[in-house]
Amino acid sequence: MSLIESLAAGFALVGNIEAFLMLFCGLIVGVIGGAIPGLSATMAVALALPFTFSMAPINGILLLLGVYKGGIFGGSIPAILIKTPGTPASSATILDGHPMAERGEAGRALGMALYASCTADAVSNLALILFAGWLASFAMNFGPPEFFALILFSLTIIAGVSGESLLRGALSALAGLLLATIGLDLVYGTNRFTFGNPNMMGGLNFIAVLIGLFAIPEIIAMAWNPVAHLGKTRSLGKTRCTLADYLGSIKSILRGSLIGVFLGSIPGIGAAPSAFLSYSEARRTSKNKANFGKGEIEGVAASEAGNNGVAGATLIPLLALGVPGDVITAIIIGAFMVHGLQPGPMMFILNVDIIYGLFIGLIISSVLLLIVGSVAIRGFRFVADVPKRLLMPAVLVLCIYGVFAVNNNIFDVGVMLVMGWVGYLMMRARIPAAPFLIAFILGPLLEDNFRQAMLMSGSDPVILFRGPITWFFWALTGLTVFAITRSTLRKRVPLS
Amino acid sequence: MPDSTALNLRLGIASLLASGFLFFYAIPRFVSAPSNINNIVLSPLFWPYILSVLTALVGLGLIAVSITGEPEEDGFAEPGPMLPKWGRLAALALIMAATFLLLPALGMVWTSMLAFLATAFLFRTRHPVAAVICAVLIPLVLYGFFAHVAGVAVPQGNFVRLP
Amino acid sequence: MTYQRMGATIALCAGLAATGALAEYPERPINMIIPYGAGGATDISARTIAEPLGKAVGKPLVMANVTGAGGATGSVAAQNAKPDGYTMLFARVGSHSVNPAMKATLPYTLDDFRFVTVYEINPVACAVRAGSGIETMDDLIARVKEGGVSYASSGVGSLLHLAGAMVLKEFGVENPLEQATHIPQKGGGAAATAVLNGTATFLCTNSSAVASFVANDQLTPLMVTTEEPVVGFDAPTANELGKPRLNQLVGWTGIAGPAGLPDDVAAKWGDWMAQAVQDQEFLDTMQARGSVIELMDPEAANDFIEGQYKVFKALVDELGMRVEG
Repeated sequence: MSLIESLAAGFALVGNIEAFLMLFCGLIVGVIGGAIPGLSATMAVALALPFTFSMAPINGILLLLGVYKGGIFGGSIPAILIKTPGTPASSATILDGHPMAERGEAGRALGMALYASCTADAVSNLALILFAGWLASFAMNFGPPEFFALILFSLTIIAGVSGESLLRGALSALAGLLLATIGLDLVYGTNRFTFGNPNMMGGLNFIAVLIGLFAIPEIIAMAWNPVAHLGKTRSLGKTRCTLADYLGSIKSILRGSLIGVFLGSIPGIGAAPSAFLSYSEARRTSKNKANFGKGEIEGVAASEAGNNGVAGATLIPLLALGVPGDVITAIIIGAFMVHGLQPGPMMFILNVDIIYGLFIGLIISSVLLLIVGSVAIRGFRFVADVPKRLLMPAVLVLCIYGVFAVNNNIFDVGVMLVMGWVGYLMMRARIPAAPFLIAFILGPLLEDNFRQAMLMSGSDPVILFRGPITWFFWALTGLTVFAITRSTLRKRVPLS
Repeated sequence: MPDSTALNLRLGIASLLASGFLFFYAIPRFVSAPSNINNIVLSPLFWPYILSVLTALVGLGLIAVSITGEPEEDGFAEPGPMLPKWGRLAALALIMAATFLLLPALGMVWTSMLAFLATAFLFRTRHPVAAVICAVLIPLVLYGFFAHVAGVAVPQGNFVRLP
Repeated sequence: MTYQRMGATIALCAGLAATGALAEYPERPINMIIPYGAGGATDISARTIAEPLGKAVGKPLVMANVTGAGGATGSVAAQNAKPDGYTMLFARVGSHSVNPAMKATLPYTLDDFRFVTVYEINPVACAVRAGSGIETMDDLIARVKEGGVSYASSGVGSLLHLAGAMVLKEFGVENPLEQATHIPQKGGGAAATAVLNGTATFLCTNSSAVASFVANDQLTPLMVTTEEPVVGFDAPTANELGKPRLNQLVGWTGIAGPAGLPDDVAAKWGDWMAQAVQDQEFLDTMQARGSVIELMDPEAANDFIEGQYKVFKALVDELGMRVEG
């Protein structure tokens, strides 16, 4: 079939009001689900899955994709407004988004988050349509040694989010790495720091740690000084993101989109590391470097571009190879299978109408996201006007519900509360929280891939340098470490 | 708030202590490894030991910069008496502990209502009536959403069950 | 032991008293724990049966994923629940026959649960990457003897972990743990990917998990462990290869309650399940995913699981695969 015919077949499939409606509904459900901390995009997709069983395949899949994309954007709303990431992917958005809201620029931050998200989404969809086959075969070259090198490089992000002191950032990262060792050992299945508690055998729940680290310390700080916020112009939720803002950040947005596409097409990394990498790259190259972490709009743009750039790209391994890139696409693959569709190279031949229908739907979804997102921002902006001493107890209750809902486990609520005090202590000791979080995500990946590589080679470390991809990342890591060391010695990045 | 130098010194000492604790006590005791591992790099103990050594190095680094580095800006002194602040922190810790312990028995809705009220009044809200209304409504609305829309098995407790 | 049994008896009496007081058993929604994550085989199976099952029960079934530690976290949640029939568990081959056989430190045993049904059997298939030069089990075994063969699993104590070792052992590899390397991954999807990208040589897993890769000619199936051939898998059965003992190596999904579950509750579940599996939509969905619907009543389910556990336990002891500590 020629491209035109394929496109026509695709249009025939999605060219009905129902398909658009499903996409639209999906986006709405996703934005709301993403905006509720703990519910997260993953759960919203899982909840929507059973509804798709009785639909036409293309409609069902578009519904789920809508939920996915909406959810990833929706997560930035509470991240900016109440410093609680709605999805793990939006934790990088907190770094600059929340300070902006504190300054009374919630509307501006949310607007930028939306525009950056939609742009990255469009870039990501284009990459999927144009380069799916190529990127997928590239991603298949990633075995444990390549992952190890990539993740080692990604850990250099820590320097970019350490704020005033590199050493305190490193300390924070080490604490995160240590905490991530809790649970059953991957290779031998033995206990590590579980103290015989079955709830700890699965490791600490990531979302509980995340929310505990960011949202709860705010509540505790309020107990320390309930009137600290008075006199600040918080309630001005009416500022907007201007075209000048958008153009000023366009470089970071595009860079973030590409980082997202790259990391999204490799199965197993996910949106959160991508957002942080995009953020730290933007910070490294921006002329407003000093303002990052204090409410720099470019930081919001970079993080949101980084996480939404992943959304379309995770479909690359899914469609081209049948390999789910993260938890959400693993659920979406279920929807394919229920309809007897088997994602993979054959699908591009057997079900080319569905593939092109999906492509068309995806392109439209970026536009629809812009509409749904604008309405959602208007709806949620009132949160910035709620008196803070009423808002904080409400955040506490919301976090309790949300964290419980992630894994239906009361223990996780305890983890969140304890992590809240850890986070508060870190705040008082001026230890940044972001390195902790990055390390908590990347640490297990680093260790697991290292040990898998050692298993592959019979403990021969040479395997870690086995091909051009590993050399590339080793070189990149070396260069970055060198650059960090040099600027530290020149006191441009303060060490202490 | 201590100034940057003193802070780094304290953090450095704390990291050294933590590292020693991990290396000599916690890791050998709480990380179990099978006895028949031929290669140390594959052992479940390998990574935790590396981390504890790195913690010690960062600790030494922090101590070094606190000795050599000139103090940057002074920490800001906090105005007002300290006692009420520590008192409120302790009270919040108590509220959180009580919330966690009451959750299984009392159910999430009722516990959240109490937690909301307690924190709102701990923060001396200027809107007591609104606080009470919110304390009742927000947990109920969240319950309705999570239990009936999202289909989550919200803990109901042993006393009053909601539909 | 007597102490444990006494506890069970007391729990049973308490359960009976409770059901005595509440004349009609399901008088409120029933909480169903799924010990694995959303989108996995257990989750999809559970949510598919929940639809017709909920109609049979007449009260809503609230599905709750409690994931972690290879199904142990969710299983413990069910184990510690009141045995009143309002908290039930979707048990799976990994959490309730491989894990108990392999892990000394598991916080539960099979005696802590009462199975009310097994409703789904998943054939197991072994597969290698297409173009790896391995076409048959004999090729694979020859390659193992040369050395350097590895197999992927979804983690220590998963069905895949045991299956890889069991298949090799059955095909005459003396010490599969020494002669082939086990490379654990995080989750079933990652295990299949590891074979696709050459990290591991082969894997043995539920046929549904690799069906799409086989259909797309990305993976080559070497055999299936069932007596009957599996649709879409152009590979011999274990019986055709003369290894009928491998018939024990199948995945399954069932429903269990805490140990003290009263008899009448268990009986009710038997009736409900008999009704639920008649549902045509359920049957179609499950068969499209490659499952065999085979309903067992409470007794048959207990015998089946106990039998599989014993086979696995014997193998684990023989190979020294037990995880201590």
